[in-house]
Amino acid sequence: MKNYIQTTAEISDFSQLPFWQKYAWVDLLYVGYGLLIVALVLVSYVLGIFDWLPHDPQQINMDMLLAPPFSEGYWLGADFMGRDIQSRLIMGIQAYFLPGLLAISISLVVGVVLGIMSGYYGGRVETVITYFTNLVDSFPRLVLILLVVAAFKPDIYYIMMVMGITGIPAVATSIANKIRFLAQKNFIEAAIALGLRTRVIIFKHILWYNCRGLLIIKATLGMGEAILLETSLSYLGFGVQEPISSWGNMVQSGANYFLQGNFWPSTAPALAILFTILGFNLLGDGLNNILENRRGK
Amino acid sequence: MTAPLVRPLLKIDNLQTYFYSRSKQSFVRAVDGVSLEVGQRETVGVVGESGSGKSISALSVMGLLAAGPGVIGGSIQYNSAGVSKNLLEGLENFVEIIEENGRVMAVRKDEAGWQKHSEDLMRNLRGREITMIFQNPRASLNPYITVGEQITEAVRMHTAIKSPKEARERAIYWLEQVKIDSPRLRFNSYTSAMSGGMCQRAMIAMALSSEPSLLIADEPTTGLDATIQSKLVDLLEELKIETGISTLLISHDISVISRLSDRVAVMYGGAVVEYGPARWVLDMGATIKHPYTTALLASVPSEQKIRDKANLQTIEGDVLDTINVPAGCRFYARCNQITPEIKEKCASYHPELKEVAPGHQIRCWRFGN
Amino acid sequence: MPKTILEVKQLSKHFGRHHSIFHLHSRRSDIIPAVDNVSFYLRENETMGLVGESGCGKTTVARTILRLTKPTAGKIIFDGRDITHLSDQDLRPIRKDMQLIFQDLDACLNPKMRVQDILNEAISVYERLSEAEVSKKSRVLLDQVNLKSSKLSSFPSELSGGEKRRVGIARVLAVGAKMIIADEPTSALDVSIQAQMVNLLRDLQKELGLSYLFISHDLQVVQLMSHKVAVMYLGRIVEMGLTEKIVGAARHPYTYILWSSLVEKHSHEATQTGKFDRRAAWGVFDFERPTSGCRFAPRCPVFERHGRPAECTDPANEPQLRDIGEGHQVACHFPLGS
Repeated sequence: MKNYIQTTAEISDFSQLPFWQKYAWVDLLYVGYGLLIVALVLVSYVLGIFDWLPHDPQQINMDMLLAPPFSEGYWLGADFMGRDIQSRLIMGIQAYFLPGLLAISISLVVGVVLGIMSGYYGGRVETVITYFTNLVDSFPRLVLILLVVAAFKPDIYYIMMVMGITGIPAVATSIANKIRFLAQKNFIEAAIALGLRTRVIIFKHILWYNCRGLLIIKATLGMGEAILLETSLSYLGFGVQEPISSWGNMVQSGANYFLQGNFWPSTAPALAILFTILGFNLLGDGLNNILENRRGK
Repeated sequence: MTAPLVRPLLKIDNLQTYFYSRSKQSFVRAVDGVSLEVGQRETVGVVGESGSGKSISALSVMGLLAAGPGVIGGSIQYNSAGVSKNLLEGLENFVEIIEENGRVMAVRKDEAGWQKHSEDLMRNLRGREITMIFQNPRASLNPYITVGEQITEAVRMHTAIKSPKEARERAIYWLEQVKIDSPRLRFNSYTSAMSGGMCQRAMIAMALSSEPSLLIADEPTTGLDATIQSKLVDLLEELKIETGISTLLISHDISVISRLSDRVAVMYGGAVVEYGPARWVLDMGATIKHPYTTALLASVPSEQKIRDKANLQTIEGDVLDTINVPAGCRFYARCNQITPEIKEKCASYHPELKEVAPGHQIRCWRFGN
Repeated sequence: MPKTILEVKQLSKHFGRHHSIFHLHSRRSDIIPAVDNVSFYLRENETMGLVGESGCGKTTVARTILRLTKPTAGKIIFDGRDITHLSDQDLRPIRKDMQLIFQDLDACLNPKMRVQDILNEAISVYERLSEAEVSKKSRVLLDQVNLKSSKLSSFPSELSGGEKRRVGIARVLAVGAKMIIADEPTSALDVSIQAQMVNLLRDLQKELGLSYLFISHDLQVVQLMSHKVAVMYLGRIVEMGLTEKIVGAARHPYTYILWSSLVEKHSHEATQTGKFDRRAAWGVFDFERPTSGCRFAPRCPVFERHGRPAECTDPANEPQLRDIGEGHQVACHFPLGS
């Protein structure tokens, strides 16, 4: 049974609904949750930099070995060495935050430049760039990273650079395709006919108005991927090393105790990984739907 | 014209089809009171501009509406040799309308239930006895299979011919009937290799291959070149004589309508505002006409105007927005024939269709009370 | 004598070989040029109509004149300056005087921009104005095209067809165009709105002294608006002259057929008394790329009537535009009425 009710208010020439009615509540929920996570991450990052932590993350406290959550002073409990899990989680963010930003910056900036050159100018430029992106795309990312780790040191910044570079093809091809699609719609031609400067056309009409969604999704998903990559590597022992905390190595070190019935030291960082990546992904998804007006008017 | 004792092939009575705009929280009153008939061997033209509801009326008859709530009222009586039924029978059981001051303010509809019920009603009718051709032929034909395959499929599905070989021959027969060049060659072509005019002919062949009683043509000539349009009109005229089919022809092109129609319905703002024999409705000089019809006929450039290079006569304002439908006559804001006596009525009450001469109906306060 | 604002000399534009979608018909070695050797001139305050069926090259002519694509050969002289080979940089200031009204309503307005953003952008392309001045100018523009100022905050998806086109016209006026190429300005519009559009364009011409290149396949509107008309067929101009001459005394068989199909569409009687046997005229009613000689020969009833003379299919003897008096030019070996 479907119900349709005519509004008694005056119907204006254009839709003037407040934003919470204009967009699907699901998308708003996603964005809300995503923003919450981003805020938490940012705050934690700042706390980490200035060392404003409840406890020293590397402080061993034999009295509090494997303390459960909500113990006194140790809100999220302590791990097998009595170190405060909450502080360790907060410090763990340092491991991926800036490096992740580096990765997505490389992907987006270089990807956008290449994509625009390829899509807008076409011809030989396009061919060369396509060869390049195909080349980069054909390298398996993880193998490349392990090679870098083996050749140099396991520095997270090197790893993230590789991630950034391997992410360029996806961005470049998406943007180039978008431009090719838009070119069929005359408004780019109309803008040229009007006399707009090429720079303006590219930045304003193409990027800002039309590629926003694409870039946001790539940025947020990219961050999620960076987190996953960093934590995986750390779990395997190639990333951040003990005693510095990373969510990945926290899961790893707590693994031994997991089977003895002490779930928390492994579970806490695993949950953190889960909710954080989920937050970034949903943020990107929700924002994209809102900007592209996907769920209809 | 059809003798009054013979039942008309199609009789639409007070059809109402509404949609809903979530962003404006309001009904889009696409079709609001359409009544017309199509008799045996007759072509009825429906003329109107965009937003008048003519395409939606056709889709309502065929039961091809996508959005909600869709058809909410009226009756569509179909009487052919074998079948006689109301295509909207039982609609009341699925729809509840709440009105206020004669204006629909809320609708409750069991859409899934009505969908199922309507499919039962339309079974064996849609595509078989009632077929439809659309405006953009390329978009309505499947681009991935050849034209011949599509028509063959239609033949096998809607006629008694089931063997592929016979169906193929039938398809080629119909391609010949629509005067497409090299029918056997075209049989194996894909729509991407054919021009707009040819695709349209192929679509007509497909529609006629099931030998329907009623053909609904929604803007069949729009978007094609002038020369192709005139040839298509020739074709439709010939087919009309050869097959004896009834046609509901929808177009905004008055010249096409005038060449093909026996009776004409003029639509504005979702309702039929004038309906009668083509000679009378499209007669520019007549005085007993709906103001919109007069204005519409006047805004088409005529020989005289072109010679004088005069400015065209326009109708003030824009075509009616079917969301913000006014209370009184829909044409009130743009009408230039309002006299002081009826002004009050025109502004407040929506007129009914009144018979001003046998077979000629007009919806205007100037001709009825 | 009003100044010539646009002169086009032997303009040609070739596309790559497989430009045609009608593969079934084209022989291997044809590169049919989209625009072939087109020459005409347009004066100030004048309207020239360009008619022909779809695919004849009218839109390509428009785009080439505006340098949206590079011409393969020929010259374009706008306002006294040869713009054929100018770089994009040098073209920019000239673009302001020659503008285009697009055929496709939806595609030429960025769907994510509101009307006021679109207009503001157009206004600020060539001059820097203060915010107040921009606002004032945009209201003046809306007024000129008869749009309500409440439409400023709408998105293109919320506008009707006529309104979208009027925004396109307002944008073109905003940069201060002197010559406007109108590509099918009345297509896809309702009849009553078409009438408004025609009146609007004519009023603007009177008010602002504009020149129009009016491209359309709506012959009646072209007749109404144009001072002179050029008829194109498969990339070439086959007849050109003052409107009255082209309509009343057409010399090229194609022109005649074009105009009479218009009459046929309208009246029942005229179909009975058609001058040519229509079946012969339209043996193949869609495009067949000719291999040699006159392009119209495969469809030409005069060709049939004269018993298929060799001149019409002689590849070395393609009919050229010849002046037959009073600025009327025809490209035909056997023009009507001769």
